[in-house]
Amino acid sequence: MAASRMAIIWDLLAARAVERGSPATAADVCAVCVPTVAVTGAALTATGKPDAGQARMGHVLCVTDEQLEQLEQLEQLEELQLTLGEGPRIDVLADGAPVLVPDLDASHIAGRWPALAPGARMAGAAAAFAFPLRIGAIRVGVLDLYRREPGPLSAGQLGDSLIFADAATVLLLDRQDRLTHAGTPDGDGRADGWADGDGRADGSANGDDLAGPGPGGQPLELGRHRAEIDQATGMLTEQLGVSIDEAFVRLRAYAYAHDRRLVDVARDLVSRTLRLGPGSPPPDGAA
Amino acid sequence: MDTELLPEAFVELADTLVAGFDVIDFLHLLTDRSVELLDASAAGLLLADPRGELRVVAASSEQVRLLELFQLQNDQGPCLDCYRTGQPVAEADLSTADKRWPHFSAIARGAGFSAVQALPMRLRDETIGALNLFRTTPGAFSTADVRVGQALADVATIGLLNERSLRRAEVLNEQLQGALNSRVIIEQAKGKLAERLDLDMEQAFAVLRRHARARNRGLSDLARDFVDGSEDLPGSAALPPGQPRPAQLPGPGQHPRPGRPGPRPGPQ
Repeated sequence: MAASRMAIIWDLLAARAVERGSPATAADVCAVCVPTVAVTGAALTATGKPDAGQARMGHVLCVTDEQLEQLEQLEQLEELQLTLGEGPRIDVLADGAPVLVPDLDASHIAGRWPALAPGARMAGAAAAFAFPLRIGAIRVGVLDLYRREPGPLSAGQLGDSLIFADAATVLLLDRQDRLTHAGTPDGDGRADGWADGDGRADGSANGDDLAGPGPGGQPLELGRHRAEIDQATGMLTEQLGVSIDEAFVRLRAYAYAHDRRLVDVARDLVSRTLRLGPGSPPPDGAA
Repeated sequence: MDTELLPEAFVELADTLVAGFDVIDFLHLLTDRSVELLDASAAGLLLADPRGELRVVAASSEQVRLLELFQLQNDQGPCLDCYRTGQPVAEADLSTADKRWPHFSAIARGAGFSAVQALPMRLRDETIGALNLFRTTPGAFSTADVRVGQALADVATIGLLNERSLRRAEVLNEQLQGALNSRVIIEQAKGKLAERLDLDMEQAFAVLRRHARARNRGLSDLARDFVDGSEDLPGSAALPPGQPRPAQLPGPGQHPRPGRPGPRPGPQ
């Protein structure tokens, strides 16, 4: 089984970032996801933790044609679910698993979201697919995909959607981290200047900025050797005294700063040949 | 196969399906029972993630060497063949399997295994994963074992769906992602606990499982609350937020550490 699909999608995102001339953002995920997965609209929402202390990002919306009316409809659909307290994007936050609805009318008939269907129809949505943006206990938001016509995602489209959701998770995590640490004296040098990477100074960008101080444009390696990466993340919550979200950011930051593969750093942590602690050198210092 | 245990095992699995269901608990129970019922030394359940990976969700042991054996089958091995063909795949003697799976056979033999069987988890026309069985002695799994093993794989599929009606094809995909994410939470919890209590990952898992049972909670839920910091485990006191653990000497069980309270884990 190949991770090639993951590589292809990350290349698409990196290419778009380069085209725009600045590091990749959640908006890029939406913009590339819509045509790739063949949906008619995408909405990405960041859900900040209560104690995160930063401004919520709100929505990022994207539709196939950048027409105001469709954007408005998409906004309506998102707001409607919040107002009614029901719908795929509500359920996905509660359950933590994707909510895949190939036919909103059929769900309505089955009594799943009684109040939603008429509003959804008016907003031009016949199918909805909501994906939680999470890595285990790390939870940063929701990616909602909509179609004007009913019908399921194909296996390939489902796989791609999940990969886009992974990319969005990492981007939101990094953004959350930058906002939390910007301007703090002990931000470990991870305030905006460093996190933005090489591209910022002269306005150009390269694909390496895709995930901030991340693994440099490579697919996030959330497939192979997954267990060690997750275990190492857990270990870092203790070693560094931080939340699981920050632990994962710091793990990737360390790998990036030392030009090592994420899985190798994780293995060293798990085998206890490496330890990160409060006295760890800043990412641009000597190892 | 131990036929006396068989009816009891299925009743237990059925009970778990009905009451207070936690999919990870259920799948772990199933791999444990596979080892007991069948002539197997180790068992694991792998699920196919639509992203394009075969991923372990449960195993009869959390030993790193065993989990590695499952993970590397993304490239080569009986589970990959089983997943692709939708058919059982067996090797009665891994010492003769170097042409079949050069890398996998070497690693499996190194881990002490001599024979392997993979059974497909099937739903209608789709193969969604595999039940992987290992033996330390060479020899094929008996016909009876293969039949019961296949039944267990089928029960795993049903458990994953956990719905009376299979009307919604999406249920499987949703449940699968939920199960895969639960597995990640458990790995994160293992890491946190291993670091806190200076245990290896296998020991950390055992502690988590023990506490989940003692408190009558699903393993995934407990693991998530532990990682979130909203649930503590006895014998593992949390430090105030923002304060990291003091640095430890390298390697568990090697040196006495000054000022560490509580029981120490035994030698690995």
